[in-house]
Amino acid sequence: MALRAAVLRHLRVPIQTAPWRGGASLRLMSSHDDHITKDEVIDRVLSVVKDFPKVDPSKVSPDVHFQKDLGLDSLDNVEIVMALEEEFKLEIPDKEAVKIDSTHLAIEYISNHPMSS
Amino acid sequence: MSLTSSAAYLARRAAQKERVQILYRRALKDTLNWAVHRHLFYDDASNLRDRFDQNKHVEDVDTIDRLIADAEASYNKWRHPDPYIVPWAPGGSKFNRNPTPPQGIEIVYDFGREDND
Repeated sequence: MALRAAVLRHLRVPIQTAPWRGGASLRLMSSHDDHITKDEVIDRVLSVVKDFPKVDPSKVSPDVHFQKDLGLDSLDNVEIVMALEEEFKLEIPDKEAVKIDSTHLAIEYISNHPMSS
Repeated sequence: MSLTSSAAYLARRAAQKERVQILYRRALKDTLNWAVHRHLFYDDASNLRDRFDQNKHVEDVDTIDRLIADAEASYNKWRHPDPYIVPWAPGGSKFNRNPTPPQGIEIVYDFGREDND
């Protein structure tokens, strides 16, 4: 037993910190490994709104109201929110989705949502 | 028209607006569920929008209520039996799977090494 312990002490490789333990947020094989940054949310929200056919892309900014500033109606608003849901793989409850009526609110909601990706 | 009755009228119109928005949202999602391909969805969504826009200029409140009730009945009749649910949402394929470990819990990768050897 003493021999075994002596041999093993020389054979054992010292334990090092595994490299993947550094970032606590990095989870391998997970589809939700890390949260997106707010800048990325702003970029992608604005690109979705600019791609909407009835919107003039030059008017879109991070603080623009869909119905007052872009001249859309309430059903266009619904379509934009649905496009945002698909872009960020979200499922927004109906009552909350109806309240998102500007790019500012959309950016806030999506960047605070834990599952947006 | 007195002030209270006009306020009640406005509140009723606002409630109707939200009801139509939610109905349109659900119907649009259901259209996506029924459409096998995306290019089929675009036509269906455009038809759905036309059906909503037909009654855009109806002003009589009771008529609007009746139209909304009819539309909700037809939505419920044609609802998809197996709708798409975002994977992490309740009812989705990843719901409650592989949750993030709670804060403060750490896995020690010592690979079976005991304290005393």
